[in-house]
Amino acid sequence: MKKTRSNAVILMIALIIGLSMIVVFSTLSEVELEQKTLVTSSGALIRTTGEIINPIDYSGEPLDFDPDSFLRDFNYGKVSQLSDGTTLREFTLIAEDDKIMEISPGIFFNVWTYNGATPGPTIRVTEGDLIRVKFINNGEKSHTVHFHGTHPAEMDGVFENVGPGGKFTYEFVAGPAGVHLYHCHVAPVEEHVSRGLYGAFIIDPKEGREPADEMVMILNGFDTDFDTENNFYAVNTIPFYHLYKPIEIDLHKLVRLYVINILEFDPINNFHLHGNMFNYYPIGTQSEPSSFTDIVTFSQGDRGIIEFEYKYPGKYLFHAHKVEFSEKGWVGIFLVKDNQEKNIQEIKYGT
Amino acid sequence: MELSNNSSKGKLFISGIIPFAFLVILILYIFGPGSDLLDFGIPLPEITIEKVDFVDSEIQVTVRNTGPIPVEVVMADVNDRIRAAAVEPDGFLERFETTLVGIPYEWNLAQPYIIGITIEDGTRFEKEIEAAAPALKPSFDLVIFFAVIGTYVGIIPVMIGLLWLPFIKRISKQKYHFFLALTIGLLFFLAIDSIEEAIDVSDESLAGIFNGTLLVATVIVLSFLGLYYFGDKLVKKADSLKITKPVAIALMISIGIGIHNFGEGLAIGAAIGIGSIAFSTFLIVGFALHNTTEGIAIAAPMSRGKLMLGKLAAMGLIAGSPAIFGAWVGGFVYSPFTSVIFLAIGAGAIFQVIVVIMKWIREEGDKNLSSAAVVSGFAVGMLVMYLTSILV
Repeated sequence: MKKTRSNAVILMIALIIGLSMIVVFSTLSEVELEQKTLVTSSGALIRTTGEIINPIDYSGEPLDFDPDSFLRDFNYGKVSQLSDGTTLREFTLIAEDDKIMEISPGIFFNVWTYNGATPGPTIRVTEGDLIRVKFINNGEKSHTVHFHGTHPAEMDGVFENVGPGGKFTYEFVAGPAGVHLYHCHVAPVEEHVSRGLYGAFIIDPKEGREPADEMVMILNGFDTDFDTENNFYAVNTIPFYHLYKPIEIDLHKLVRLYVINILEFDPINNFHLHGNMFNYYPIGTQSEPSSFTDIVTFSQGDRGIIEFEYKYPGKYLFHAHKVEFSEKGWVGIFLVKDNQEKNIQEIKYGT
Repeated sequence: MELSNNSSKGKLFISGIIPFAFLVILILYIFGPGSDLLDFGIPLPEITIEKVDFVDSEIQVTVRNTGPIPVEVVMADVNDRIRAAAVEPDGFLERFETTLVGIPYEWNLAQPYIIGITIEDGTRFEKEIEAAAPALKPSFDLVIFFAVIGTYVGIIPVMIGLLWLPFIKRISKQKYHFFLALTIGLLFFLAIDSIEEAIDVSDESLAGIFNGTLLVATVIVLSFLGLYYFGDKLVKKADSLKITKPVAIALMISIGIGIHNFGEGLAIGAAIGIGSIAFSTFLIVGFALHNTTEGIAIAAPMSRGKLMLGKLAAMGLIAGSPAIFGAWVGGFVYSPFTSVIFLAIGAGAIFQVIVVIMKWIREEGDKNLSSAAVVSGFAVGMLVMYLTSILV
C-alpha cells in the first residue's frame, strides 16, 4: 500500500515536470504586445512599443564612411614638375583587409579597403601626367592595384601579387582621358572586388571639361552572407543614404557625374534619372555624347560620364531601374535648389 | 534506534550529493571565469523565424535566437526587398530570447512570401510562407465550424467503425484474432505516421536547439510509460471498478486513439489556419476514411463482452471528440512546439494500446502471437492504412 503511494507521488512529480516544461516552452514563444503608432518616411504605419529598424534613417551615430564627403572629393596627388615639363602626380594606396565597417544601420561587415575606406580615394589626373602610385599592402592577404586605361604590362597589377607587408610602385603615363577605375586583381578577383578593393580613376582631357558641379558615383553592393547574391546595393557604399540626405544641386547649373559600376554577382546595373534627360558619354573617352536619355545600363566594370541640368526646382529621384536594387539601397534624391531667384518659386503651375 | 536511522539517512543523502558536487566543480572549471579551455572555434549566430502572422497591412514575425551567442535583429525584408519594421520589445536577443518584428506591408491574400531577417553581421535568415492568409481570430462561427469539422473527422468515422461490432461478435475465435491483429496493424501504421509528422513539423519550424527528433523520441517514451502504468492499473482494477476486462482494454484503446485524434485535429486546424483550404479539404476526407478503421480497433475487444451500447458510444466520443479540441487549438493558437509534443504523445499512446492488445491476444489465444490469423491480420491492417493514407 505504502509502495503504491510513493509510486503515485513519483508519477505526480514526473507529470508536473512534464507539464510545466510544455508551459514554459510555449510561453517563451509568446511576445507581449502593447501598441503605439509611428509613421515611416514611406508613409507606412508602424505600431510599436519597441524600437524601429528603419534602413533609411541615418540620424543616429555617424557612420565610418561619409558618402557626403566622398561624393565631391577628388585627390590630385602630390604634384611636381619633371625637367621635361611633365607633371608628376604621386599617390599612396594602402590596402587592408581587417576593417569592420557599419555599412548599413546596425550591420557590421568586414570590408577590404584602400586607405581605410571603400571605395578607395578618387584619383584624378590629367591626360599625359606621369602617375606614381606607391602601394603598401598592410593586409593579411596578397593584393594589387589594377588600373584601367593604357599602361605597360608590368604596371597592370595582375601578375605581380604584393604579399602581406609588401610594397610596389605603379608608374605610368595617364591616358586616355575618361572615367576609369582601379581595383585589386588578386584571385579570386570577385571576392577582392566585392569586399571593397576599388576606387575611381578619372583622367581629365588636357583641354579640360566645361566647369560643372562634379560628383563621383560608384555603384556598388555587399554580399554580407556570402551566398553570391548582394544583400545591399548603393551609390557610394551606404544604402539609401541620399534618400535620407538628398544631394543638393543648383537650378540651371551643369551637373557632371562620373558613374562607375563595380557591382559584383549581378550582371547588370543601371542609372535612371527622374524629371530630366542627360547626355551620356560612355567611358568618357569621346567628346560627343552617345545618347540623350534618362537611363543607361552598365555591365560589370562599365562606366561613363552623365551630364545634365535641371529646369525646375524640387526633389528628383535617381535610382537603378532594376528596382530590386533600388529597394535594397541603390536610390537617392537630387534636391534642386533655386539659389538665385526666389521669386521663381512664386510661379503657380497650371495658371 | 531512531538516532542510527537518522544518521544512516544523512549518509545516504550525502553519498547521493557528492557526485553532484563534483559535477558542479567540473562545470565551473570548464565555463568559469578565466577558463579558456573551450575558447576555440567560431560560434555562429543563428536565429529561427518561428511564426509569421499576416494581420491588417502588416506582417508579424516571431524571431528566436537559437544560436550559441547573443544576436541583434537589425533589418527585415519581404521577398528580399528591404523594409522598415518595428521590433518589440527590442532587437537585441540573448540566447533563446524572442522578439516580434512587425513589418508594415500591403500583402495579398493567398500569395507566397519569403520573410527575411538580417542580424548585425549581415547574415540573413528567411522563412517561406506558401500562402498568406489572415491569422484566424476566434469567433463563435469559427468555433462551431471547427467543431463540425472535428465531428466529421473524429466522432462520425469512429462511430461508423464501431458498427462493425455485430459482425466481429459473430465470427470464430480465429477470425476474431485476425481482427485484433488487424487493429494492431492499423495502430502501428498510425503511430509511424504521427512520428513522421512530428519530425516533419520539428524540422520545418522548430529550432535545431530543441533537438526535434530526440524531443519526439523522449515524449513518445514518456507518454508510453505513463499510459502503460495507468492502463495496467485500470485493467487490474477492472473487477473492482465493475467493468469487464474487455471494456477496460477498449477504454484504453479509445483514450490512446483520442490522444492521437487530437493531433489530427491540430493538423487540420493548422491547415485551415494558414489558409490552405484546398489542402485541408483533402485532409478532412482522408482522415474521415482513415478514422473508421479506428472504430474497429475499439469494437474488437468489446465484442467479447455483452453488448453495451452506452459504453460503446461513450468510447466513440472519447476517441473521436479530441479531434474537435485539436482543431480549435490548431486553428487558433497554433505553435509548432505544441504540435510536435501532441503528435509525439499520440504516438506513445498508440504504442501503449498496441502492447495492451498484444497482451490480450496472447491471453486469449493460448500464448501464441505467431498464428496465421495474427500475422495476416497485422499485415492486412498495415496495408489498409497505407492505401487509405494515400487519400490524405
